[in-house]
Amino acid sequence: MGTRVRLWWALFMASVKMFVRNRTALFFSLFLPLIIMLIFGVLNFEGSTTVSLGVVDEAETDASAALVDGLAEYEYLEITEGDRDPELAALEEGDRGYVLVIPESFELQLGGETGLVAYASTSDPSQAQVGQGLLQQAVGGAIASASGAPIDPNAGFSAPLTFESVESRDLGYIDFLVPGIVGMTVMQLGLFGVAFGFVQLKRTGALRRLFATPTSPAYFLSAQVASRLVLGYVQVAILIGIGIWFGLQMFGSWLVLAVIVGLALLIFLAVGFAVAGWAKNEDQAAPVANLISLPMLFLSGVFFPRDAMPEFLRNVTQFMPLTYVNEALRGVMNEGATLFDLGPQLLGMGVWAMITFLVAVWLFKWE
Amino acid sequence: MTSPSARSSGPAMSAGNGPIISVRDLRKSYGSLTAVDGVSFDVAEGEVFGILGPNGAGKTTTLEMIEGMRPIDSGEATIDGVDVRKDPREVKRRIGIQLQASAFFDELTLTELLDLFGRLYGRAVNPMALLADVELTEKAGSQVRTLSGGQKQRFSIASALVNEPRVLFLDEPTTGLDPQARRHLWALVRTFQERGHTVVLTTHYMEEAEELCDRVAVMDGGKIIALDTPQALVDQLIGRGFTKARVERLANLEDVFIDLTGHDLREDD
Repeated sequence: MGTRVRLWWALFMASVKMFVRNRTALFFSLFLPLIIMLIFGVLNFEGSTTVSLGVVDEAETDASAALVDGLAEYEYLEITEGDRDPELAALEEGDRGYVLVIPESFELQLGGETGLVAYASTSDPSQAQVGQGLLQQAVGGAIASASGAPIDPNAGFSAPLTFESVESRDLGYIDFLVPGIVGMTVMQLGLFGVAFGFVQLKRTGALRRLFATPTSPAYFLSAQVASRLVLGYVQVAILIGIGIWFGLQMFGSWLVLAVIVGLALLIFLAVGFAVAGWAKNEDQAAPVANLISLPMLFLSGVFFPRDAMPEFLRNVTQFMPLTYVNEALRGVMNEGATLFDLGPQLLGMGVWAMITFLVAVWLFKWE
Repeated sequence: MTSPSARSSGPAMSAGNGPIISVRDLRKSYGSLTAVDGVSFDVAEGEVFGILGPNGAGKTTTLEMIEGMRPIDSGEATIDGVDVRKDPREVKRRIGIQLQASAFFDELTLTELLDLFGRLYGRAVNPMALLADVELTEKAGSQVRTLSGGQKQRFSIASALVNEPRVLFLDEPTTGLDPQARRHLWALVRTFQERGHTVVLTTHYMEEAEELCDRVAVMDGGKIIALDTPQALVDQLIGRGFTKARVERLANLEDVFIDLTGHDLREDD
């Protein structure tokens, strides 16, 4: 190993140790995202007791209408009526838990052959079983009441239902949340992990002490960037690992995910070094870092879908770097998108990477 | 990164009896403010050379220009035969620098830092030997942030010695230290001198200059206004008819303090 390689490696390892031993940096860049993920994960905004049911009424008779009315009595069913194809597509997308098809031949008769077919998603077997039970109970009860028997939820009618499995992506809130948290973590690492650590070295004079040696500062800077890249990947791996433990699903390629995370890290490391290079001390760095990160934290779809925003705000915020990052992360993780599919997002990220790099070079001052 | 020409010519030049540091008409301005205004002096090998002066006199700026830490506006500085303006990196390779603010990477241990600094000079060092020199071996595995002020200053000197420098630059090495720690640092400087190091230091403390320095330069307003041995400067003053208002006492308050609290180092500042 050459002296230069050994020097670079020593600076890299020093940089890693400095980060890992700095509790403040560790808290904000790793534990805080983790805590946020756990809190949001435990809260689980979906409301797990309802069963989303698509109803396809192909019979369109009084009997089928009576069955649908009967089902509507069950509050745990969230019923959407529609045609077969769109409803089955919705099931595949994970927007429906079940789709009940009422065939043309449907007749109301208790205990007999109804011809009813319920399509269930395959994604979550444990939840499917609970849902199947609930659905069977509802259909049985609805048929009973439509045929004149009194509604008695405890009667336990055996429902004449055939279940068919459909390959689908049943996306939970965790699937939405984790890519957002990953995006947020990458942003925090760049802005706070880099900006604050580096500005501190600048203010205390530790950086000046390096200039008293014959080594070019470029070595130190490149080792810092490399160490943050590696640490960023480790953090993302930890977050996703814990996410998977909570039921997170990954539909895309890990390699594509790695490319997106790498590009995102480069963007926000550049932002971090721009802030650190410009600021003279932490007091200058803090407001600027917050000014950059807070709007993105709330407007880039980290915790909630951006669809809920007013249209003008959505149009403005779609160009923010973290929006591109989050969209690309969700694309690969939730939809299995390829790099080609993610062209627009990657283009947006690439442009931001260039802009932030140039700004960092332009603003950077060693002292 | 290396410059073979300067490296090969260096030792040959310094082997002679010429000065190891030679400074000619050094100048530095910041806008309309002239920080250093034509400073010239020589330092002989093995000498302890002091630069004295009030705050803002230009001591630190002068030092930093000679060290290659700050660009020189005009004038010349040569250390160990190497022109600072032409090859600041080669100068840095031959000198050890202790900065006024002795800051390091707080989360690293003393051993790790000395190893790292060794790498920055492209060499493997023996951290324990360096720490033994400054009596910090028991702190080898501690992180820098746990050190007291005096320990930090001593560690700062250890870090300046990793490359076995020919010249050691100390910028206000005892500012903020208690009398025990200060005396300890003086002993350290004398040890280096005995080993043949050349030392250049700045200070606000006159007793420190008298105690340590073979010669001192007094700076004010960016210029050197006097340069001689401490004794000669005192003799010149008396020769101009100066008498002290009060007769010198046989002991002063610092002597009392040391007598009462002893010479032993206190580690918690």
